[in-house]
Amino acid sequence: MKQDEALAWIATVFEESPEDITPEKPRGDIPSWDSLGVLGLMAGLDTDFDIVLTAEDMQAMTKVDDILEVLRKHGKLE
Amino acid sequence: MKFVLVDRILELNPGKTIVATKVLRAGEELFRDHFPGFPVVPGVLLTEMMAQAAGKCLDAEQNPRGKAMLGKILSATFKRWVVPDEPVVIFARIESNRSDYATAKCHVEVGGKMASSAELFFVFVPKEQFAPGYVDDVLESYLSGNAAQHE
Repeated sequence: MKQDEALAWIATVFEESPEDITPEKPRGDIPSWDSLGVLGLMAGLDTDFDIVLTAEDMQAMTKVDDILEVLRKHGKLE
Repeated sequence: MKFVLVDRILELNPGKTIVATKVLRAGEELFRDHFPGFPVVPGVLLTEMMAQAAGKCLDAEQNPRGKAMLGKILSATFKRWVVPDEPVVIFARIESNRSDYATAKCHVEVGGKMASSAELFFVFVPKEQFAPGYVDDVLESYLSGNAAQHE
């Protein structure tokens, strides 16, 4: 998967426009990246990429690039 | 109207699948408004039926993570009208089941035909949040009935 596809996927998870999701965007600037959004992201990573993370793993993420890094580490991102 | 939208559990595989039933009677006040001369079960109540059934399926595992609560409606479709007094059969299959969340694919049938479907996302709330002694009567009735059968 290419980075722009990953960003589009993240946008879908957080119900945001793809144009609004950039690697540098901090968590605080994404309204749906709240406690429920964290669980939704966990579920999405699990269902779509077979990546299982804990709530603590998720809480450590502070920006979109942290999500991209997870995908890279699991070989899902070119 | 009590907000208990599952009357009886027919089949249960804790944490995996459930089949249950519900009938909303024509005398329920909501049908006076939904709609005059054309009473039909609101789509949101069909969705709640599915959520309550799937929740019971998760709760039946008696996992210490807490009680399953609906966190998000991922999708919902309404294909057929459901009228009062029609027995609704509710099906739920748990797709993901983790310590922090669960997802379920659900549908309801009337007369053997699918009337509505939904994909639901659940979170878990510690049991201490609820009233002391709170019991899910419908779930307990099924579990105790099954336990008696196997004794």
